[in-house]
Amino acid sequence: MATTTASAGTTVSTRTRTRRGTQHGRVTPWLFALPALIVYVVFLVYPAFSSLFFSLTDWDGLSPDYHVVGLDNYRAMLKDPVVKQAAVNNLIWSVVTIVVPVVLGLVLAVLLNGKVRGKPVLRMVFYTPGVLPLVAVASIWGWLYNPQYGAVNALLRDIGLGSLAQPWLGQNSTALAAVMVPAIWLRTGFPMLLYLAALQGIPQDQYEAATMDGAGRFQQFWYITMPNLRGANYIVIALSLIDSFKVFDLIYATTYGGPGTATQVMGTWMYFNVFQYYQAGYGTAIAVVISLAAIAVGIPYVRSQTKEHQ
Amino acid sequence: MTGKTYTRRSFLGATAVAFAEAGLSACTGAGTNSSGGGSTSSSGGGSNNLRVFTYEDNATIGTFKAQIAKFDQQNGTTTTVDSLPGSGAAVYPDKLRTELLGGSGPDVWRIWGGQIGAPYAKARQAADLAPYYTKYGWDSRINQNAIAGMTFNGVKSGVPFFLAGMGGWYNKALFAKAKVSVPKSYAELEQANDALVAAGVTPAGVGGKYGWDIMRLFEYLLEQSAGPELHDKLLTGAESWDRPEVVTAFTNFKKWQDKKWIPQGALGLDPADIEPAYVQGKTAYTITGQWTEVNAIQNAKKSASDFGTFQLPTDHTPVRHSGFVEGYMINARSGNKDKAAALIDFLVKPETQKALGITGSTVNGAEPDKSKLPLAYQWSQINKESPFYTVQDQAFPKQQTDAYFSVQSDILQGKTSPAEAAKRMQEIVSSWTQKQ
Repeated sequence: MATTTASAGTTVSTRTRTRRGTQHGRVTPWLFALPALIVYVVFLVYPAFSSLFFSLTDWDGLSPDYHVVGLDNYRAMLKDPVVKQAAVNNLIWSVVTIVVPVVLGLVLAVLLNGKVRGKPVLRMVFYTPGVLPLVAVASIWGWLYNPQYGAVNALLRDIGLGSLAQPWLGQNSTALAAVMVPAIWLRTGFPMLLYLAALQGIPQDQYEAATMDGAGRFQQFWYITMPNLRGANYIVIALSLIDSFKVFDLIYATTYGGPGTATQVMGTWMYFNVFQYYQAGYGTAIAVVISLAAIAVGIPYVRSQTKEHQ
Repeated sequence: MTGKTYTRRSFLGATAVAFAEAGLSACTGAGTNSSGGGSTSSSGGGSNNLRVFTYEDNATIGTFKAQIAKFDQQNGTTTTVDSLPGSGAAVYPDKLRTELLGGSGPDVWRIWGGQIGAPYAKARQAADLAPYYTKYGWDSRINQNAIAGMTFNGVKSGVPFFLAGMGGWYNKALFAKAKVSVPKSYAELEQANDALVAAGVTPAGVGGKYGWDIMRLFEYLLEQSAGPELHDKLLTGAESWDRPEVVTAFTNFKKWQDKKWIPQGALGLDPADIEPAYVQGKTAYTITGQWTEVNAIQNAKKSASDFGTFQLPTDHTPVRHSGFVEGYMINARSGNKDKAAALIDFLVKPETQKALGITGSTVNGAEPDKSKLPLAYQWSQINKESPFYTVQDQAFPKQQTDAYFSVQSDILQGKTSPAEAAKRMQEIVSSWTQKQ
């Protein structure tokens, strides 16, 4: 009996310790995460839910009063021609400013990974635009595109292509494309650096073995380089995707959404409604839609890539 | 709409309380402080700290700060000045709005009149200044037309200090090169434009980025084709825009571009770049106000005698020009309204206005010095004799103004006809007037 009792006591004591340990083990990670969680909740979750609520109101963004209008703002978006135009512009912007800088970045990285003279200088030259303030970039390109005195038209005239000289930012047909050029210029350096780092991590012996097996340069690129860049691709495309959804400042500073509304994107149109038209309820509804679109596009991609990594 | 009215503060307050219970009130308290204001005191006569928000640029900010320092010295106050120079009425109001919603905002801010200043009065962010008008006798010292430009629904929400009159500002050397003189009629202006183009000079330097600069050309063309009475009725929506006079104005607007009387690709040009081009000798003239004498001519170290200014000819009596007012408002939630009003009173004293070099002061006895600002002085005399029509971006709310700028843009790109543009303008204006 005594043994049994002792054994039972030991078992109870062990269970208690285990339960306490388990409880402690459950709480400890949360304690560590708490400071970051507080910041996350206060500065992201709370404003996000607050915005969601205001998207259901007719608040003008200045007055102390507002009315709850249900889904009226979302219905109004369906009838707003600028929203449709902005959504199309966003789509074009996303495709072009993801694909072109990523491809150019990869090409430059491959070229700079070889035996090239002045490699550090070239890397700096290609990366520097990415660290310039966007408003400064907008001013620089605004002058370059000046129809009368700008370098772009001057160059075209000098090489005998004066007929192609255009008021690049002053007409609907060219304005969006003209703003995408500085965006590409800015955004090529970053993927180039990431790809360059990834390229330098590929073991040389893989290329040597492939050469021994008679693989050509293209085959080596396709069957060795590209698979080894999968990790870099994930980072580059995910960051580019996020960047393209955030587009605002370059368009705002370069064309102010014009001419007319030709270069409006969802971000700028949201800003115009909230800050300039005193339609904060409607503007935040646009912001909610932008967020949902970004989540809808981003999450499947991130999940698929995460699974692949696991 | 449910019809139930909520206040933003009650929503923020309720959620903030929930956070406070979770021990987070320190992070969310700003939005619930109902006695915010630029200075921290909660009563009208509070602390000695003031904050002023303005859009003085590099050419004028030094003088402005010097006058503020003088006020501080006389009154024992400490006034902070924040300035956001740059894109005119396109960006500054956004920044001001953000500051006000941030729970604090400046005690005093500079703002344009009309529909740019109106939202701050309507939202009760700007204080009713009637008691201070009585206290300081501003009614008898300041131009009444200008006061009307900062009075909203009968509430005097601002104190105007600047009355702009906009017309042609030209480069005498380029006019001489093309052998043209100051036009006395619209036909003469068109002839002058042709002569300037023939001499290899771009006549009118206007830019379409933001819309408001090139708008000055269209509103002039509308005044010319419609005449004063109809123009005023169009601006208030009392008459339909879908009419021949408006079609004529849009037709002429397109003509100015097609005949190269405005710069190639004007729609994409930044006003900050193209407006001073007449001083640099790149365009013959521009359409602007008195500030250009300080900001463009004197800033470029040029002599005023090399330039001239004129009222754009309308062929109507009276000859009117585009105009607008600018003034100061006081934060309704400022804890220091009395001192803020004292500061404004100091700023609108004739001697302060003269020291600030205000080129179009609304204050009696503060006309610009003829020897220092001869061209601005000329406009002070024009303003006495000629009435003005409200500049269109102050006549309409921003949303309607931007829709109107889209019409301007489409006309110049040939995407819409003048007749269609007139119809679209009627839709834009009537949708606004129906909401009122």
